[in-house]
Amino acid sequence: MKSLHKYGWIAWTSARSNMAYLGEVVARTLFLVLILYIFLQLWRVTYSETQAQQLGGFTLPQMLWYLCVTESLAISAPRIAQDVDQDVRTGALTVQLVRPISYPMYRLWSSMGERGVRFGFNFAVSAVLALFFVGTIPMSIGGCLLFLLVLPIAFILDFLVMFLIGLGAFWLEDTSGLVLIYSRLLWLLGGLMIPLELFPESWQGILHNLPFALVIYAPARLFVHPSISDTLALLMRQGVALLMLTLCVQWVYGLAIQRIHSNGG
Amino acid sequence: MKALLNYLNLAIAYVRLNWNAHMEYRGAFVSQLLAMLLNNLMWVAFWGLFFTRFPVLRGWTVQDVVTLWAIAAAGFGLAHAIYGNALQLAKLIAQGQLDVWMLYPRVLLPHLLLGQMNATSWGDLLFGYGVYLGFVHPDMVHFVWFIGLTISVAALFVGFSVLTGSLSFYIGNASALSDQWRMAMLTFSTYPGTLFDGAIKLLLYSFIPAGFVTYLPVEALRSLSWVHAIGSVIGSVTILGIGIGVFYHGLRRYESGNLINMRG
Repeated sequence: MKSLHKYGWIAWTSARSNMAYLGEVVARTLFLVLILYIFLQLWRVTYSETQAQQLGGFTLPQMLWYLCVTESLAISAPRIAQDVDQDVRTGALTVQLVRPISYPMYRLWSSMGERGVRFGFNFAVSAVLALFFVGTIPMSIGGCLLFLLVLPIAFILDFLVMFLIGLGAFWLEDTSGLVLIYSRLLWLLGGLMIPLELFPESWQGILHNLPFALVIYAPARLFVHPSISDTLALLMRQGVALLMLTLCVQWVYGLAIQRIHSNGG
Repeated sequence: MKALLNYLNLAIAYVRLNWNAHMEYRGAFVSQLLAMLLNNLMWVAFWGLFFTRFPVLRGWTVQDVVTLWAIAAAGFGLAHAIYGNALQLAKLIAQGQLDVWMLYPRVLLPHLLLGQMNATSWGDLLFGYGVYLGFVHPDMVHFVWFIGLTISVAALFVGFSVLTGSLSFYIGNASALSDQWRMAMLTFSTYPGTLFDGAIKLLLYSFIPAGFVTYLPVEALRSLSWVHAIGSVIGSVTILGIGIGVFYHGLRRYESGNLINMRG
């Protein structure tokens, strides 16, 4: 209970420090507005050209709301791997290890605080845009609660992969290439710009079971099409991915810690 | 003519010098180049998937979008692989770092712009030509047009970077504003121009001149249309001219930072 309180404070401090840098938040938001407008045009033209009411089970308003969630998720991602990489290269990690907190947990809660603020702000702005351009879609409090249930797990899954990449700094000269590869795979295969239903059918089975979809596509789809059975199935898949990635982080972190040599006083 | 040849020699010397400087950090250079290639390829993959499902978008096919990406990337790459300082202009002005460039017996702006090379721009350049040759399979005539239009788009990007960077003469440190404006330009430059109508279309030929990247050059290449090609070149020359004009107008307001600077 005491440690939960401790990490809660870390998350809160991180969230507050993010609210202090409003300039950066506004800059990200402007980019979000631009991207959402372009995608609205792209899909508006696509719906009009195909004369379809629904594409992949999404109406045009649902498609824009889906994109609001996916883009807010993607743009709110903190620089976890880069920060861990820096801690490893500069030796700041050894200082963190002296503190009475777990380094991975410190990074996790700090990133949750940061991402919570960023996602909230981005989503609020994109929701206003969606309301302005396409109006509302059928939503309920229950549906929003289901979305809020899976959202933190999506954040944690993304954190675990980024943390693993950051730990790569113990062995690799440069981890920025891995960060780029992961983020682009997440964007493309995670359904950031196009829902998985619109991918070629032969791909869909694989894509639905990859962790990328659990971070972006699945929470966004649940927001647009809330359902208890889908939520339970998603929680199950997220749980399995969470377990596997946690074990992986534990193992790699254990190996990495053994490589630390602290000299001097 | 002699002055032009003289400047070309200077540009070649700077490119060689900057290239050698980057080769001192070969690993970092190659990884940045590959990262940019990968980033651009991801977008081509997205459009590939999109057009698999919806083969035609207001008359545009996947080949047109690939051409658009090729022209935009090659133009941007060519511009900033040679004139890398164009991306740093706002910061250089705000920090009073023009002093050192003013001491040279050269025309200030074209010399200053050569000062740095942007590593990732080589990735863009390589991607642009690679994807055009590999995916579009042009004949010789189309390829020659592509080279010409790439140079035109590169001039547009240089002019736009100079224009946005020169804002620092008027409003202090305009780095963030310049970056945002350029980001808007780049973002609009990578989506089919046919998606936008009305006021936004007007915006794309004025305030954010992406129309000279996304629409005119691609239409010129599609039908080897001189009208569109000339329109594209006129747009580029205009933006370049405005950029140069704003830079030299702003230069009158420049104040030295009394910064001690050495260049090797």
